[in-house]
Amino acid sequence: MTYARYADSLFLDPVLNDANVDIWILSNLYDTLLLPTDDGKGVQPGLATEWKVSEDGLTVTLTLRDGIKFSDGSPITGEDVKFSLERAAVPDTTWQFLVASIASIATEGKTVTITLAHPDPAFISALTVFNTAIMPKALFEAEAGATDADKAKAFAEHPVGSGPFMFASWERGSTMKLVKNPYYWDKGEDGQPLPYLDGVTFEVIPDDATRILRLQSGEVDGAELIPYARVDELKADDKLNMEMYPSTRVQYISMNVRPQVNGADNPLSNPKVRQALNYATNKEAIIQIVTHGVGTQLTSFMSSATPMHTGTAPLYPYDLEKAKALMAEAGFPNGFSTSLLVLAGNQDEIGIGTAVQQMWAAIGVKLELQQVDNATRTQQYRDGTMNMRVAAWTDDIADPNEITSYFAYSPTIDALHSGWKSEEADKLYVASQSEIDPAKRAEEYARIQEIFNAEGPTVPLYETPYPVALSKTTMGFNQIPLGNNIFRAAWLDK
Amino acid sequence: MLLVPYIFRRVLQLIPTFAFIIIVVFVLVRLLPGDPASAILGDRAIDANVDRINHELGLDQPVFVQFLVFVKSIATGNLGNSIVLKIPVADLIAQRMPVTLMLTVMAAVIALILALPLAFLAALQRDKLADNAIRGVFQVGLSMPVFYLGIILLTVFGAKLGWFPVGGYGEGFLDHVHHLILPALTLALSLAAILMRNLRAAIIGVVGAEYVDFARAKGLRPRLIMIRHVLRNALISTVTLFGLSIGTLLGGAVITETVFAIPGAGRLMIDSIYGRDYPVVQGMTLALAVCVSLTFLLTDIAQAWLDPRVAR
Repeated sequence: MTYARYADSLFLDPVLNDANVDIWILSNLYDTLLLPTDDGKGVQPGLATEWKVSEDGLTVTLTLRDGIKFSDGSPITGEDVKFSLERAAVPDTTWQFLVASIASIATEGKTVTITLAHPDPAFISALTVFNTAIMPKALFEAEAGATDADKAKAFAEHPVGSGPFMFASWERGSTMKLVKNPYYWDKGEDGQPLPYLDGVTFEVIPDDATRILRLQSGEVDGAELIPYARVDELKADDKLNMEMYPSTRVQYISMNVRPQVNGADNPLSNPKVRQALNYATNKEAIIQIVTHGVGTQLTSFMSSATPMHTGTAPLYPYDLEKAKALMAEAGFPNGFSTSLLVLAGNQDEIGIGTAVQQMWAAIGVKLELQQVDNATRTQQYRDGTMNMRVAAWTDDIADPNEITSYFAYSPTIDALHSGWKSEEADKLYVASQSEIDPAKRAEEYARIQEIFNAEGPTVPLYETPYPVALSKTTMGFNQIPLGNNIFRAAWLDK
Repeated sequence: MLLVPYIFRRVLQLIPTFAFIIIVVFVLVRLLPGDPASAILGDRAIDANVDRINHELGLDQPVFVQFLVFVKSIATGNLGNSIVLKIPVADLIAQRMPVTLMLTVMAAVIALILALPLAFLAALQRDKLADNAIRGVFQVGLSMPVFYLGIILLTVFGAKLGWFPVGGYGEGFLDHVHHLILPALTLALSLAAILMRNLRAAIIGVVGAEYVDFARAKGLRPRLIMIRHVLRNALISTVTLFGLSIGTLLGGAVITETVFAIPGAGRLMIDSIYGRDYPVVQGMTLALAVCVSLTFLLTDIAQAWLDPRVAR
């Protein structure tokens, strides 16, 4: 089948990639020891059939499946597993934090024994994440180049893994072709070997309207990232299935809450001001304006699809009187001036910016919208020179630890580079990272969410599903909440 | 014949032009706020990873050193590797430039095919029905934004009628041509409108000139007058305009390439600027500058041939 993507992949290395355009398709090429379940919250067998965590939480033992092979036909050995996991655990790479607890790896026959430096409750989930994909050691090391990075560059031009598909060709910026991996281990519900498809062709079609036209004309079988404005129209198209896959994507405004920004006193450092902005934001109206009703209000800073999410009622229901009272209490009865960064050309962010500009004017906040490109925005964000920005987040692991680390745990990136810090949240996070009692861990995360939601440096806006349009003949495709496009059980009904 | 030394002089002038472009591009791309590491890592950027990437790319070196490395790499014909795509810039240029050049050339040819005969017709039928109709239609083409026109053409001739593919680039030369007709037409319409108006005005001006009256009085055949006296003189300003427009066409290809999902140089350029992919921006700018400069050179030569006074 042919699938239309908004942007091309950049770098097909499981460990050294940095972008969703790679992450979301890597599992089709590379297999992991364990696989995420279809709802993205649980774990199911992958290259390993069984896994066991010791009582003390320090040893993880996995059993490799019989007869597993890479797509070139060579067997997958314990050596490949050890090599791949050790590579994922090399410090200072983007995703290393997911497996930072690994102390050593030993393999004997089909048994893989991983010793952890400390108990790590998220470790089993980490073994489903792209950066722990199993790579063929011998082929990788045979690549030209002196360093791992050089070899990775060479290998990623013609990657070999053990996923349901194997790499065939790649015209950058245009098309990538994957074909069926004849050695893939899994069978479908009907007992037939997976994958059902002979191959998947990705076409890069950056323009939303063209991507949809191409689907409607039957030249592609599926198209990702349908603009919210067109969801209703495509739902009514009887040749298409407009799918809304549950996701972990959250949209929010993050603030700089340091006492001073660019040498001036910063009103946003006052938690009451932040609460006032939250109450003055009519989220339901923004959901209607920006997402055309597709989004839902957030009940915590993390998405409701994230494990250990708590909260049932929308945060900060719209209440202008409360907002005005909080502004007066904070010492800003007449408001103040501040600015918001929005991504130039991004209709969602510009829509959000324009909406809150008007909403906050009601409590006297004069908001200047600054349209910047991604690199400029990231720089101001990291330097702590911005006041506010619109942002979005998607989880990469079926665990609350990643989003919490970036949002609430100050040592990682100063809580979204906001300068916000809660001693209690920091302590709870550290404890949660080695807490092996699931109930206790859930309590810790509940408390972190309580603290962050009450006084954190964000205005949570909404969560949205992934809008994917498929032809009526396309069956069995799935995009899990973490974003991965799963083609292993997809088929075309001719 | 003065043409040969003239061409030689013009080619020599290209050298300082290129040197200037190299310096400007190098400086400008670094004046942009943000760096490649921030652009690549985005919101997940943590300091250790940003430092690692900057070190790998040599961006922790003083700018002066980076410039020397850049000049040295140009001198040896090695434009470096793309930061984002990890492959050689020269390969990227070789993949993407021909696509954009083909699109531009097809657009230019379509524009000429449309503009030349219609300009003649409009000029000779001045203020009559044909003239007004031609000018009216082109006015619409000129005032419609490229992305909108592109979507309309795609919807009608691609999705509805199925005469052309809905975007993409295809495989093999003929398939490429088939895929590029709609985008080339999209690009060509506004250029054709400008050329047509310019040439029409020039023809009207020349037709009223004394030397044309004189030629007519000599009893020359109308067709000969048209070709030898009217067209040759009327074309001078149109050729200049056409040459200058090629640069604009290359620039305009960006939007067209996005709408029609064509993997060309324009799209790569935009992605690379957003991604702060310095080596690609530098290499592509240089390649585009070479193309535009060569077009200007050819324009100047054509002008000198049409009007020998230019070469003096």
